Amino acid sequence: MVIERKWKTWVYFYIPLTVFVVGTLFPFYWMLITAIRPDAELYRSWRAATNTPFWTLQPTLEHFRDLMAKTTFPHWLWNTLFIAVVSTAISLFCGLLAGYALARLRFPMAGTLGTSIFVTYLVPPTLLFIPLANIIRTFQVGDTPWALILTYPTFLIPFCTWLLMGYFKTIPKELEECARIDGATRFGAMVRIIFPIAVPGILSAGIFAFTLSWNEFIYALVFLSSPEKKTVPVGVVSELIRGDIYFWGQLMAGALLGSIPVALVYSFFVEYYVTGLTGSVKG
Amino acid sequence: MRVATTARRRDIQVAYLLLAPTLLLLLTALAYPVGWEVWTSLTDLSPLKDGPTAFVGLENYRRFLADPEFWRAATVTVVYAAVTSVAKLSLGVGFALLLARPFRGRALVFLAIFLPWAYPASVSVIGWYWTLNPPIPTAYSVFMGNVKYAVDGVLGGGAWAFLSVTLFNIWRGSSFIGVFLLAGINAVPPELFECAVLESKSAWRRFWLVTVPLLKPFLALAVFLSLTTAFADLANVWMLTAGRIVYPVVGTHAYWLAIRGGQFGPASALSLTLVPFLLAVLLILFRMFDPPEKERA
Repeated sequence: MVIERKWKTWVYFYIPLTVFVVGTLFPFYWMLITAIRPDAELYRSWRAATNTPFWTLQPTLEHFRDLMAKTTFPHWLWNTLFIAVVSTAISLFCGLLAGYALARLRFPMAGTLGTSIFVTYLVPPTLLFIPLANIIRTFQVGDTPWALILTYPTFLIPFCTWLLMGYFKTIPKELEECARIDGATRFGAMVRIIFPIAVPGILSAGIFAFTLSWNEFIYALVFLSSPEKKTVPVGVVSELIRGDIYFWGQLMAGALLGSIPVALVYSFFVEYYVTGLTGSVKG
Repeated sequence: MRVATTARRRDIQVAYLLLAPTLLLLLTALAYPVGWEVWTSLTDLSPLKDGPTAFVGLENYRRFLADPEFWRAATVTVVYAAVTSVAKLSLGVGFALLLARPFRGRALVFLAIFLPWAYPASVSVIGWYWTLNPPIPTAYSVFMGNVKYAVDGVLGGGAWAFLSVTLFNIWRGSSFIGVFLLAGINAVPPELFECAVLESKSAWRRFWLVTVPLLKPFLALAVFLSLTTAFADLANVWMLTAGRIVYPVVGTHAYWLAIRGGQFGPASALSLTLVPFLLAVLLILFRMFDPPEKERA
């Protein structure tokens, strides 16, 4: 380790670090403070002597209560959770099988298929929402959760497959060969030997897929229309903003509550997430 | 020999069996829609129009190329993608380098830096909107209003709105790129960096001669993801302006035409104009860097 002078550590390390952290966290702080600020204080004038823009002295949970009781927010939470869990499960299932096949089996066109699955991840939703809107109208699944459950895998599967394929490649082939010699079938070896070892990779792919579907905006905006069918990201923006009237307190309360599931998932699994990411790309 | 060939044939069968669900889903929900879109862009299809749909050839494309509104949207899109990508990449590299060495509280800082990406964009965007474009009766709206007029005065109307979308995109994207590059740094054996410290005293030289080449595949992928998401951005612009688009990008333009205007033909043509941009970026990056999967496969 090279010994550095103290001021250098400050200039190159602590100061930038502080700036970065303050910058990333400030909007969240602003949301929190707006969510617990009473209405009277929210709309107080800039020049008022009692103005305290950066903190509040009378925190209130009124906005949270309004949000749960007066809007369809609880529905949105449930819809989003349902859609995110089901589409993540579908994508993980497909991604596991496809990733294994691409990483371990030799078959004609393996390379081409692998690359083309990866390239589909790069096809942006902006390109796809028009034709998908048409398909969804034809099959009459518009305005139901199935419209999203069937379309989210288009961007979830490619990523899951790519990530898991990389992860499978880091697992030594010998492990599987030993199991085959001991009499396991290819399928048995896959399910009993490879999948359990790949749990960090599977978890991180799952977390990633869950986050993406929880946060997805365009498809949810285009394919759902009734207020109580919406997901949190769309509902918060489209139902709590009516014309020029903004329900600021409720908006911020919704913004905070709507992300709790994602925050929970991350705080539990962040270690797996990083190992999964490094492990996969290393391969 | 015979045993080997049957085993191999079984392998091939198993492989296709395992790939079947993925391919089926991707074909129906990706390949078919893209094909449909290409076809529709050549017609005047609209759910609002009576009578049969007519084939109009390249008419939709010609109309856009002659339309100054389209060129404005295209310019905004390109500037937006370039500016945000450069900023995201440099901030992301900064995050990654800071977090690369162990220090007390690193896990917490990591979470703080990761939060902007993990947080649902459409709700964190509200926090930004509230900060940058506060409604009239709020405490600090006079102050932010003055900032807005100053920026718009210098750069032209709508510039402040555009700037806020750019800032938001950078804030959110650099978080992801930082974590992604950190994963890349962690994957490099630490001895390599230690050797570099012995070789050169200049941290700047070490960065360009050691860190950058080692992270090349990660950097390439990060640039690519950042550019494509910015090119095809619709959600960020939409959310931050609550649908009132002052500065249209190609994506929002297409949304208005298709969903609000019911003009599927022109809208399809419009969103397909993104494809040349995307292909160009893809080609340049494949030229400049070896794509990670190929190099490591």
